Amino acid sequence: MSQLANQLVTAEREEVAYGIRWLLSTPLITERSAPDVFDLVRRRREPIRKWFDYYCGWTLTVEPRLGYARLVKVRVAADASRPARRLRSGRAPFDRRRYVLLCVVAAELQSVPVTTIGLLADRITRATNADEVVTTFDASSRSERMAFVDVLRLLESYGAVEVVDGVTETFVESAEAKVLYRVDPTLLLRLLAAPVGPSQLAVPAEDVALRFEELLEAVSRERRYGLSAGRHEDTPGASDVQRNLWLRHSVFRRLVDDPVVYFDDLSADEQAYLNSPTGRRLLRQAAELGGFLLEERAEGVLLIDVDSVATDSRFPDDVANAKVAALLLLDTMSGPATVEQLEFTAAALLDRFPRWAKSYRGDEGTRQLAADALAVLTDFDLVRVTAGVVRPLPAAARYAVSATRTTEGTTP
Amino acid sequence: MDPIRVPPEMFRFTSGDRAELYVAVLHAFGEANERLETALGLDDVRARLRSIGWLDALDDNDLASALDQLRTWNLVDVTQNHSENYRTASEYERRNLQYSLTRQGEAAFAGVVHAMSLLASTGALQTAVLDAISDRLGDLVQELDTGSDRRVFSTLTELEGHLEALRGNTKQFNGELQRLLRADGADLTTFHEVKASTVAYLEEFLTNLEPRTHAIATRIGKIEEHGVGLLHQRALLGADLPQLTGTDPGPAWLAHRRARWEGLRAWFRPTDGSAPRVEQLHLVARRAIITLLQVLARITESKRRSSSAVADFRELARWFTVVPAQEDLHRLWTTMFGLSSARHAHLAHPDPELVSPAASWHEIPPVAVSPLLRSAGKAERFTKTGRVRDVAAIKAARAEQALAERAELEAAWDMLDTGGAIRLSAFERLDHALFERLLDLLGNALATGPGAGGTRRSTTSDGRIEILLRPPQDGAIAVLTTPRGEFRGPDYEIEIRAAGQLRRRASGDDT
Repeated sequence: MSQLANQLVTAEREEVAYGIRWLLSTPLITERSAPDVFDLVRRRREPIRKWFDYYCGWTLTVEPRLGYARLVKVRVAADASRPARRLRSGRAPFDRRRYVLLCVVAAELQSVPVTTIGLLADRITRATNADEVVTTFDASSRSERMAFVDVLRLLESYGAVEVVDGVTETFVESAEAKVLYRVDPTLLLRLLAAPVGPSQLAVPAEDVALRFEELLEAVSRERRYGLSAGRHEDTPGASDVQRNLWLRHSVFRRLVDDPVVYFDDLSADEQAYLNSPTGRRLLRQAAELGGFLLEERAEGVLLIDVDSVATDSRFPDDVANAKVAALLLLDTMSGPATVEQLEFTAAALLDRFPRWAKSYRGDEGTRQLAADALAVLTDFDLVRVTAGVVRPLPAAARYAVSATRTTEGTTP
Repeated sequence: MDPIRVPPEMFRFTSGDRAELYVAVLHAFGEANERLETALGLDDVRARLRSIGWLDALDDNDLASALDQLRTWNLVDVTQNHSENYRTASEYERRNLQYSLTRQGEAAFAGVVHAMSLLASTGALQTAVLDAISDRLGDLVQELDTGSDRRVFSTLTELEGHLEALRGNTKQFNGELQRLLRADGADLTTFHEVKASTVAYLEEFLTNLEPRTHAIATRIGKIEEHGVGLLHQRALLGADLPQLTGTDPGPAWLAHRRARWEGLRAWFRPTDGSAPRVEQLHLVARRAIITLLQVLARITESKRRSSSAVADFRELARWFTVVPAQEDLHRLWTTMFGLSSARHAHLAHPDPELVSPAASWHEIPPVAVSPLLRSAGKAERFTKTGRVRDVAAIKAARAEQALAERAELEAAWDMLDTGGAIRLSAFERLDHALFERLLDLLGNALATGPGAGGTRRSTTSDGRIEILLRPPQDGAIAVLTTPRGEFRGPDYEIEIRAAGQLRRRASGDDT
């Protein structure tokens, strides 16, 4: 009997851990796009919800009837390395126009349950025309239509709109294309994760650029942590309970979302919390429940997801030349280096791997390769680039060439 | 059913700029008819008009022309009254004409009244009506045995009345329900309340529906044992129909009764094997509950945000327009939408616990990066195998134990293998440990959502044992006996099976 119970507990633990990591990489799961994962999350929603609520203070909403699960990741984004991406082969990041159109489209879709792509484009034109700040949408230009289609395809992928008839892509070639959409207003609402709506802040458009950092903080402000979350040092209004809650959540939010958390980047309170016995215990607990391996070092901590479920990309990996180059550049760096030095190394790499030259040929090739490789390293918190100087961060040592290659022999 | 043909001009009086007057006049006749006055003079009409609330000035010519118009539409008849004594010629002119409603006029006015009452009333599904039908059916059984023809007649009439009420109410309620489901944009607060109370109401209605329909169906069966023809014949005798015209009203009356009885059967116990209508009612109500709950969920959701959601998206569009740097665009996106993925390393030390948390990254050996990746720019796919090797090396003991547990568990599953669909009650007696496992499997299956046809399907975590559950159609209860007591529960149709051939054989050995 106890064995059976054990087996079931093991099964549950594995499923819960898988669900947690899956939600970390895909905060919005619809039944249509991933039926198996959705079913798992639906069945295990209680423990998963508790995990996110306790460690991160993030809300998990599972709607079995409406067929979606949404993890509301509230967090001020510190880095720009995780943009929305175009759902095309290049997976290029969204540009300004696409982000703008995304918001306008989402606003206009809110009031129509069913629409066609042509009618929607008209609405967008009228809406943007009425807005003083936003540039008017021009459906006669191909690039605009392309951007519009990219936006709709992204919304489709989230399940916020559903194509009933036709193919969105055809709109790129002709504004006469017939595509019928059904809108899911609930999911559309769920797209926004920030607890404070931008319209509530009522900031004049000309101030937005100046007060950008402040605005990011403002939209992420959660009441439960006291009057001004994220600025606890100077808020006398917050109670100890709220302060502790905020410490736990802010530390864990970094930990589950970012590749590496360096102690140097944390505030004194957060460092103290992480190094306290309670902090360490919770850290191990959270990692175990989430199916992560925990790596604790003198300089910081990181969570390892051996199955690569909870990550959008992997390093080291051979899927892109830039990633291989990144690893090899890292090998050459024993200390800070200038970008120019690295470009020199990159040129040597291009000599060594002649086939790479296909994607990095031309005058700017080496520069581009070095830049791409550095972006990979920055994304994984392994180097930091300031004013042309690249500094390797402590965790970079994880991927150093080992002196004794004990792992080289393969076991039969 | 024959198509409905309305005589021409019958409802002309309800449209046009004098419609109000026409309706008022007809209303006056209707009121008078209730007091058994059928013929009204011009002055009587005027007096009645006032009493039903027509207060506008109206001269004789207007009234006369209105009545004339109604006459040309065949709604009002004019007769001359010679029975009274008239003293002057003008008095004669004024009072000798007597107006009365024609049959069409009566029907037209009744139609209007009915239409108005439908507009004003709300439909309801009443368990009371079902009860009344059930009671009257019971009475009928008794009356057929012992009662008089008159009682049979009156009870049958009551029964038909209640059935009519059920049909009418259902029709109206369904109409309202569908309207409610459609009208999404209405005033949200009242809407919310209406929907919530509708759901509560439907749920209440559904809980009691089945036993009641069952009782009704049984009683219909009983009456049919006595013979429906006999019932109707006796009711006909009891009705004592007046023979006002040349033809005998009996056969038509009987045909009418038979049609009604068919209606009753169609609702509760159809002869042609189709589903009783009352079951459709069940379906409609259940679907409505689900839809309403979804709409409610959406309303609560949109209440929380929607007023501002559109504004938020518009404002955000402006922000995206004016934010200067490319980097900031992405940060704004990540912050506002929270849809971005986490990012983590995937290479780990063979045994992370061997390294002290106080050590620096520089002091300890690096993780195992594929050497091939460095030399050739290609990685062998080592992550998977690497992981298994690690587990084997370090956690061998644990794995062995798990394996042993697994074997025990599988043995138990083998014994539970049903080899096909059986009823839960077929297990009858079970060893306690085995019973616990069965219970766990059941729990597993019940935790999943029912698929098409109510079948629940679940597999154990390794996917090797599959369990299928179908709810019992007959609502039977299974009783399982174990050494420690009895287990009662719905008698599910259950199928436990192993996925592999090897396991088939093993289970064969067991049985």
